[in-house]
Amino acid sequence: MSLRKYLTLTRAGIIEALQFRLSAVVMVIGNLLYLIVVYFLWKAIYASAGTDIVNGMTFADTLIYLVLATALYGFMEMYAVWEIGRAIQSGKIVLDLLKPIEYRSYLFWSYSGSFVVNFFSTFLPTFIAVCLVTHGAVPLGFNLIYFALSVVMAVIINYSIDFIVGTICLFTESIWGINIMKQVVVLLLSGATIPLAFFPDTLRGIVYYLPFQSIYNAPLTLLLNGSPTVQSVLPVLSMQLFWCIVMTLLSKLFWKASLRQITVNGG
Amino acid sequence: MSAIIEIKNVTKEFKVLNRREGLKGSLMDLFSRDYKTVRAVDNISMNVEQGEIVGYLGPNGAGKSTTIKMMTGVLKPTSGEILVSGNVPYQNRTQNAQQIGVVFGQRTQLWWALPLIESFRILKDIYCISDADYDGMLELYQSLVDIEPLLHKPVRQMSLGQRTLSDILAAFLHNPKIVFLDEPTIGLDVSMKAKIRTLIHALNQQKKTTVILTTHDMGDVDALCRRIVIIDKGKMLYDNDTEHLKRFFGAYRTLKIRVGGNLKEQAAEIEKRLPDCAVSADDEWISVLVNEEKRKVMDVLTQLQKDFRIRDMQLEEIATEDVIKKIYEEGVE
Repeated sequence: MSLRKYLTLTRAGIIEALQFRLSAVVMVIGNLLYLIVVYFLWKAIYASAGTDIVNGMTFADTLIYLVLATALYGFMEMYAVWEIGRAIQSGKIVLDLLKPIEYRSYLFWSYSGSFVVNFFSTFLPTFIAVCLVTHGAVPLGFNLIYFALSVVMAVIINYSIDFIVGTICLFTESIWGINIMKQVVVLLLSGATIPLAFFPDTLRGIVYYLPFQSIYNAPLTLLLNGSPTVQSVLPVLSMQLFWCIVMTLLSKLFWKASLRQITVNGG
Repeated sequence: MSAIIEIKNVTKEFKVLNRREGLKGSLMDLFSRDYKTVRAVDNISMNVEQGEIVGYLGPNGAGKSTTIKMMTGVLKPTSGEILVSGNVPYQNRTQNAQQIGVVFGQRTQLWWALPLIESFRILKDIYCISDADYDGMLELYQSLVDIEPLLHKPVRQMSLGQRTLSDILAAFLHNPKIVFLDEPTIGLDVSMKAKIRTLIHALNQQKKTTVILTTHDMGDVDALCRRIVIIDKGKMLYDNDTEHLKRFFGAYRTLKIRVGGNLKEQAAEIEKRLPDCAVSADDEWISVLVNEEKRKVMDVLTQLQKDFRIRDMQLEEIATEDVIKKIYEEGVE
């Protein structure tokens, strides 16, 4: 197995993403608008609570968390559900299947280029801006290494979920509704829109055992933890690793079933 | 020489839900288990030798694409056996992919937003093509067509003809043993068609690549294929060389005559008198397809002269196109 096969797809993805300069600008503006809404929404929540600390988080804590979550979203979000759904509906999947690379890897590596571009164009600038504005509220130390590790696994889990949902489109023959449902479930249960600390206890207990929190909550927790210890880092990372393996296997299984459907009934 | 593609008694069936009409019917369909089986390919066998160009013909919906998809490994045959250069395609799809190239006329495998040369570079890495082979291939391409202006043009800005040409070049890039071309000249102008035919012919000669070509354009067949296979409704109708085709279907000639009055009405009149000939009319001519084994053209002409005032006439030898049309319409007797 040569890595070159895959890295060439990353390279193509980077070049491709750089072709669409305008879309990057539009995305930054969109994110900015979203952040303004978030700012005023949480300002109102804190004002009505009457205390400075709600659920163990100050207003600044919450805001930093949500800004970074948005930046992470801008970097990790992919549209694999659309891609797979459309490829299946239009029959383009036939051409993808005839590449000498397994489709799951093919699609992932095709997306990897946009990860790289989005990391440098969305996440990094936001991260630096947050660091500068908050004067060191974001710790810069070993936590960055754990964060990097965690993000890689988060990307893989996120991709696997997207991929699984994408293959379901093969059976439902519709993409839009399923995609919206997936987005809402993932964004809510992963802690991307509301920090998990604000969830009711029982729900938080359940969410903790679901794969979604490994996508946003886990890396952000590791990033914002200034004094990482083995006891605080290891459970988070091992939980992610567990889901990484499980979701990858699951997506392989789903793909196998879909492939059977495609090769037997022509999709 | 051994066969590079072996197809033995291959059948492909699809299960299709019996859809009902109207709102009530659609609601009932949600819970329906009422499937019917459609046989797209019915007991087909053929062997293809290394280096052949085979024209694979049939009317729309005959099962051509289904057969091609089975040969590429995207579809699994319901029964029967397919071997493509020693592989069972659907079992070793990834391995098989190294050996084959595919062009589906309606879609592109190229990277839409990137210049063609980038697509070639990606394919080079994906197919693990060595630098020497890659450079050699580009040189060959350069000698066959003027690709330099295409190489630096993003695929989305290309005309359909340029894109198809590029797609064909991409399919041959990793020097596959077999290339499947599914309607490669669809929607192209005359000069582009000619260019593409020359290119396919040259690549087949130089690289000894086996080509399976489906098309509705008899120009493609006449220019490229020595052998054709015709299927309809999933069944194989004909598998032999193009020369034989004309003889096999008797000595057909087309008699074209010009008469006074409404040509459509006159044609219907003629058809009544000549039940064993196919008669059609266009704006200028009435064409009568005559099988000379049954009836001489001169007899037909004499007969027609009795009843019609013929102003002008032409005699045409049968074209492949007409034979194929006849097979599509009537099948093989």
